[in-house]
Amino acid sequence: MKQIFLAIDTSQGTSVAVLVGGKVVSEANDPNPMRHAENIGTLIASCVEQSGLKPAEITDVAVGVGPGPFTGLRVGIAAAKMFAAGSKATLHGVGSLDAIAFGLPLTEPTLVISDARRSEVYFGLYQGKSGSGIPKTLLVPGVSKQAQLEDRLQKQGQPYDLVQKPVAATAIGLLAIAQLSAGLAAPPIQANYLREPDATVANPKKVTG
Amino acid sequence: MSHQIRSATESDLEQIMLLEKSSFKNDAWSKANMRGELLAPHTFYVVAEENNNLVGYAGLSKISTSPSSDVQTIAVSEIHRGKGIGRDLMLSLLTFAEEQGAKEVFLEVREDKPTPQALYQSLGFMAIDRRENYYQPDGVAAIVMRLDLTNTIKSAPIVLGIETSCDETGIGIVQGTKLLANVISSSMDQHVRFGGVVPEIAARAHLEALESVLEKALEEAKISITDIDAVAVTNGPGLAGALMVGVGAAKALAVSLEKPIYAVNHLIAHVAVDILERGKLETPTVALLVSGGHTSLLLVRDILTDVELLGETVDDAAGEAFDKVARVLGLAYPGGPEIDKASKEGDPKAIKFPRGLSLPKDMEQNRYNFSFSGLKTAVARHVELAASKGEVISVPDVAASFREAVVDVLVSKAVNACLDNQVPRLILGGGVVANARLREVATARCQEAGIELRIPALSLCTDNGAMIASLGAQMVMGGLKPNNLDFGVYSTVDF
Repeated sequence: MKQIFLAIDTSQGTSVAVLVGGKVVSEANDPNPMRHAENIGTLIASCVEQSGLKPAEITDVAVGVGPGPFTGLRVGIAAAKMFAAGSKATLHGVGSLDAIAFGLPLTEPTLVISDARRSEVYFGLYQGKSGSGIPKTLLVPGVSKQAQLEDRLQKQGQPYDLVQKPVAATAIGLLAIAQLSAGLAAPPIQANYLREPDATVANPKKVTG
Repeated sequence: MSHQIRSATESDLEQIMLLEKSSFKNDAWSKANMRGELLAPHTFYVVAEENNNLVGYAGLSKISTSPSSDVQTIAVSEIHRGKGIGRDLMLSLLTFAEEQGAKEVFLEVREDKPTPQALYQSLGFMAIDRRENYYQPDGVAAIVMRLDLTNTIKSAPIVLGIETSCDETGIGIVQGTKLLANVISSSMDQHVRFGGVVPEIAARAHLEALESVLEKALEEAKISITDIDAVAVTNGPGLAGALMVGVGAAKALAVSLEKPIYAVNHLIAHVAVDILERGKLETPTVALLVSGGHTSLLLVRDILTDVELLGETVDDAAGEAFDKVARVLGLAYPGGPEIDKASKEGDPKAIKFPRGLSLPKDMEQNRYNFSFSGLKTAVARHVELAASKGEVISVPDVAASFREAVVDVLVSKAVNACLDNQVPRLILGGGVVANARLREVATARCQEAGIELRIPALSLCTDNGAMIASLGAQMVMGGLKPNNLDFGVYSTVDF
């Protein structure tokens, strides 16, 4: 049976694609980084409709697990989990920065970054690909001030090309397929937040002088 | 006097035959045939009664292995026509057919009878064929009609509701007004050391809990996910980041199942939960909703079209006040149960704490609004002053006096709302309903004022998915249009 993938990523904007037998048949994007909850349903519905398939025909769902700003990232993963449940499809998690790297030549060391807000970036350093096209990681994804990160790499004598671009759901789908064909276990479907929740233990303030 | 519909029994045979003979003069069934039909395992017969007289009957055949069902007969006595009895008989047959898994229902009707044809059309039947000389000896043609049950609004739709507005991940499933499943996963334990709900922690927990809560809910309801007719989801008010998890999940689920989606107001859903216990909502009703996130008074004239927000808290929610005062008193989180426990040994009249927004001057602008921030400060001041004088406070007395002040304000304003608006009913909702003293005082004062008090089971009072599904089902059955897929979330009350 042909594998039919629905691919979703909300680590930056909202991107959705449908792939049939490893070929993309539809993709829909909205770059707005603040409207994931509004956009996700419409983009999934329109992608599936354009593909001419029924939702129940989808056999696999691939989702970008980040890193990405939390609130938006969760919308895509929540949607992927429930779509997979509704269409009885298999769920796969894919690193969002890995998916960007997947679409790059990676002949040179390549530093892939995305906006992490609070004046920081999410990053991953890649060079070369495996036989099935999976990016090889030099530095696993992290979060840092960009200047500090670049400073550190330069001090280490680590050369790199800097790339910042949107994640396309098509790349999420293609990387999931590559990981499957390489026999790699898909990463667990867990949001890669890279930051702890902001929470402090409150101490009651005195109300008398 | 209205009529009632019930299943037919063999003892109805004599009366059914009287009606059969008067309704079908030339082609009535014989008594033996009728008895056979009534008793056959593949048939379902109902009768309509008025003042204990049989005034109508109808029958359906449904063979369990077939997706089709046939209306065999229907009759209403001549003097009782035009009162909706035929429609109610038909509806009970259709509900039965649906429950038996029928995908389509067929019937034949005399071509020279426009009134029943119009009734069947209004129920969604369409003419698909004509049979010449079908009714003998009159030689009248039959119109064959078909109802597509897969495409009609069901009388009891299966609705799945998703709730993620605060720290409970809830998925509930209802069928019409019947509760099938109510599964909740709470992240409360993770918030304990912070003394209150941390939104980011709550949102992360929702994402982790979704799949297992869904799985358990389907198991509890004993349905397959594809049995769901519609999806409902809370889109506010609540914590925005937490709400978005549920909304993203619900939209994708609806698209994957090709079913409609309904965005549900969390507060109104707290009222709709009563339908699951009583079958319907008595209106008008006032609702007092009290939790860690809300303190609201609603006046509900119609659950779908006419809900008025009479008032709400202008600062802390009542549950929040319990948490903060518990902390001041060195009690654990969540504060409600701890203060309830501590109060048992205390004197509620020991300390006269202020009743927020309850002075005569407040009655104009803030008659139905609440304020608990001043009360919380008064408790803190009391504790600090005692400490500065080296006095030991009685935690039970402070807890009981504080609790009494909160409960007094909540119940007084709710009872006022009922009396002012001449509404003889009050429904309680929200986690603070777990507070024993609130239930006690509300019961006593409602009784005094002649107000009927409804307190749903505690599992339905705290945030849950069943209440979302219940309101969703009302929206489906009320013929409301589903939402477009592009709706967002809102954090504050929006009516």
